[in-house]
Amino acid sequence: MTYNELTRRHFEHPARLGTLAGPDCYRGAAGSRAAGTWVQFDVRLGRTGGGPRVLEVRFLAFGCPHVIAAAALVAEQGEGGAPEPRLPQSAHSLRERLDAPVEKLGRLFVVEDAWIAALRGAAAHWEAPAGAGDAPGGH
Amino acid sequence: MSASVVYLDYAATTPVAPEVAARMAECLTRAGTFGNPGSASHVYGEMASASVEAARAQVAAAVGAHAGDVVFTSGATEANNLAIFGTAQYYRESGRHIVTARTEHKSVLDPCKELERRGWSVTYLVPDADGVLEPERVAAAVRPETVLVSVMHVNNETGVIQDVGAIAELCARSGQARVHVDAAQSVGKCGVDFAALGIDLMSVSAHKAYGPKGAGALLVSRRRGTHLTPILYGGGQEGSLRSGTVATHQAVGMGTAFELASPMSMPEHERIAALGERLWQRLREMGGVIRNGERAARVPHVLNVSFAGVEGESLLAAVQPHLAVSTGSACTSATQEPSYVLRALGRDDRLAESSLRFSFGRFTSEADIDTAGTVVTRAVERLRQIAGT
Repeated sequence: MTYNELTRRHFEHPARLGTLAGPDCYRGAAGSRAAGTWVQFDVRLGRTGGGPRVLEVRFLAFGCPHVIAAAALVAEQGEGGAPEPRLPQSAHSLRERLDAPVEKLGRLFVVEDAWIAALRGAAAHWEAPAGAGDAPGGH
Repeated sequence: MSASVVYLDYAATTPVAPEVAARMAECLTRAGTFGNPGSASHVYGEMASASVEAARAQVAAAVGAHAGDVVFTSGATEANNLAIFGTAQYYRESGRHIVTARTEHKSVLDPCKELERRGWSVTYLVPDADGVLEPERVAAAVRPETVLVSVMHVNNETGVIQDVGAIAELCARSGQARVHVDAAQSVGKCGVDFAALGIDLMSVSAHKAYGPKGAGALLVSRRRGTHLTPILYGGGQEGSLRSGTVATHQAVGMGTAFELASPMSMPEHERIAALGERLWQRLREMGGVIRNGERAARVPHVLNVSFAGVEGESLLAAVQPHLAVSTGSACTSATQEPSYVLRALGRDDRLAESSLRFSFGRFTSEADIDTAGTVVTRAVERLRQIAGT
């Protein structure tokens, strides 16, 4: 199989690799290694200016090069954004940018599910105390 | 070809030896033996026929057969098809049962599946965790209506050697079944003696032994009175078992390659074995690695290793820029099927997919092995870091 330049770059040199820990950090994961695709995102939230922001993202991924590249891309795009439980770009758009075969769309949905899981967890904790201006406890 | 990519896929194919290429070239042009070997009415045909017969004798000598046993084919796949369909058809009134193994090459398994579709029954034996088929188990699977037992000599993925002589001996006691051996990976790698093995049919391939692609042979034991129904009809060449003009240059290339390949010298055998061991010792330092077929008798040319904690396609993608190796997956455009051979040995899907087959040959050097060790170690450690395993 051949990979386009974007996939190759993020696969070979994935930035934001690893995990985060701390009171403002939240984790979401999806898939399973036994099934061949597993992705985990850790996000650290904070307030900059008017509202909450994703300040930092880290990821781990077990999967094909397209999955690793997609997770790295989402981690890169997610930093600085609003902590909303949706991908910065759709799984379909990710597939097109990475030139992944359509049969791999299901694997990219695992990336999406992991991202949404992390951001949902974060949103659940950040919405409630927002009025009080307190940061929530981490995961 | 990129010279910077280390070639460790000799079990897939080998480069044609320069001597072989030279002999083949002599058969192609007007100055050489370009005639149709079937044209007995003129000197051009006679010269080509003489070249083909000389090649037939070379092939036979390399594998302990009589020249009359050699039926030239387009390769081992055609030879396997001819052996299976030809035997099944010829002996159809005697029985419609075949015994083979889950770990056979697709060119054995797919004809068996086709025969099942046509009403034959097939027993697929599962080897032990090291890939070994106990001869007693094979013989026990033979029934009165069994017409063929087909077992490969050297497994193309693991390099595991089956005791086909013992299998043939036990099967001979069990009934009427003919024994076919796919020996595509054997020539030049381990001793193979068609007559001494006591088998009826044996498939061999040229391009696994520094010969050309598109050339192979089925050995059909005349001494044992083995019969086949052809699967190709036409000019009645090759004793009416394989119609079609014999490709003189292919036969000559195969004959030359087999003459050069057999027997492999003991120093070369030991050199290859040392290279395989050198790579294995380097890889095992990582931990989480399994040498497939570890406790079985194996040819030294093949090292098959499963790497825990990494995904197969990513592993191949990581090493591919530097190494030419085979993976434990049959990779199609988008999906990967775990190796059915490794699955049959009890590996789960993930381990089967994250396996690499390294195969060594005449031109493999210690530097190649060290490069492979470094590239694979870095790739596995990096992917394990990405996966958090």
